[in-house]
Amino acid sequence: MSRFSILTKCAVSLFAIAGCAEVLSAQQGKAVMPNLTGYWRLQDDSRNVPSANLTPQAASVKQAELAKHDVQEIRWCHWYGVPYLMETSPLQLAQSRNGYEIDIIFNTRNPSRHIYLDRPHPNAETLDATSDGNSVGKWDGETLVVDTIAFSEEGLTAIPGGGRRTKESHLVERFRLLRNGAQLSVVSTWTDPTVFSEPHTYEFRYFRIPDKDFEIPNIDCDPADEARTKFLSNPPGTQIH
Amino acid sequence: MGIEFRGRHIALIPALLLYGNFVIAQSSANVPDLSGSWERMDDVGGGSFGGILEKIIPKASLKPEFIEANRKEAARQNAGDVVAFSSKWCQTFRYPFFMQHSAAWHIVQTDEEVIQVPEVHTFARHIYLDGRKHPEPARLVPSVNGHSIGRWQDGTLVVDTVGFMPGGATPGGGRIGAGTHLSEKFMLLDDGKKLRVTFTWDDSTIYLKPHTYDFVYYRSTPESYALEDYCHADESTQSGSVVQPKQQ
Repeated sequence: MSRFSILTKCAVSLFAIAGCAEVLSAQQGKAVMPNLTGYWRLQDDSRNVPSANLTPQAASVKQAELAKHDVQEIRWCHWYGVPYLMETSPLQLAQSRNGYEIDIIFNTRNPSRHIYLDRPHPNAETLDATSDGNSVGKWDGETLVVDTIAFSEEGLTAIPGGGRRTKESHLVERFRLLRNGAQLSVVSTWTDPTVFSEPHTYEFRYFRIPDKDFEIPNIDCDPADEARTKFLSNPPGTQIH
Repeated sequence: MGIEFRGRHIALIPALLLYGNFVIAQSSANVPDLSGSWERMDDVGGGSFGGILEKIIPKASLKPEFIEANRKEAARQNAGDVVAFSSKWCQTFRYPFFMQHSAAWHIVQTDEEVIQVPEVHTFARHIYLDGRKHPEPARLVPSVNGHSIGRWQDGTLVVDTVGFMPGGATPGGGRIGAGTHLSEKFMLLDDGKKLRVTFTWDDSTIYLKPHTYDFVYYRSTPESYALEDYCHADESTQSGSVVQPKQQ
């Protein structure tokens, strides 16, 4: 028997083994889900964000006051929270091998998002409000649908397109791979009776970073940094000696 | 013959690719799954998280200048200045602080990485399992967690870390410098209910001999979820310190 005949027979055997493994997996009820794991970045043409339809109450809020609030949150390195963190780039999605959760890890000093799969939100009466909120997810075909509640008012609360995150906010995100996994679409829909007169939807498209050795940078935040504090507090262009 | 040869050859390519994936899946399926939420408990009767450290962590064997630095630090605390500058100002925790903190921390394990995700104000720690090396010293950017690479050895995750930002500290009075090297072993115990992490710190400019200790963490219940342990330096309870310094 020639070398190639042996190899061909080996190949057929391996196809059979692999096929058996897939059948076994299917029999065990384990559907193969898309793998969102990887590093992702936004680019100039990543955002499709229409203007939000705000309630009269939300529309009357003075933008200058909100801007002042945001500067203070940054100056003191408070948690920035969602949705601001989803606009930072690059970010990392990590899908645990056991299918229990998907985490989103950011390059700033902020809590990672934990998206717990196939489980309900905890009891609302005992649930702690946080800047990232409490997220649970489930697969709808090849789309990961993430439901987030229990937001706090900590951090940078501006929502793309207008409005602010409040304790009443509810976010539904749909994560879906595009172009053979080279892009990640995240369609976000916010509802909040105190902010929006109708659900507010926008889409970001992230681009996969193909570099296998990529490492996400750490962008620190130090409230004790005097030069930083003066920069954020003084009129623009003030010379610091 | 040439055409037949190429045809057979081409037919083998997907088979070998499948074989490669199959082998990879088999090998990764055999490694322990560390994913989940982990937290410390008082299993030695320490009475407090600091008390537990006193009971389980040996004193680091240090060079004289670091013994003297620790003595001055203890004197400052005995005088009532018990909250460090970095705590008052909510500066970023340096590894391994979140590993001895009372807050839980979490592991997300993929085939390429084990990621430790803390609840306190610091960065996630990445332990790369994909075979990469540490960056060359000239390209290594010091960071609070250092640069970590890991491998599985008989069911234990063996982690090697370099590139720490100097100025950190370890339990037992150890210090961390720019050249400090950390070896760790992560091993599941009690059918995955516990996780033992053994730390060995080595730096000939600081230690007289490697400083080794271990912690045991308990897996949180499946319905638990991560919290955000915020730190607000602009609040008087934080910046004013828990115990006011004694008047001199």
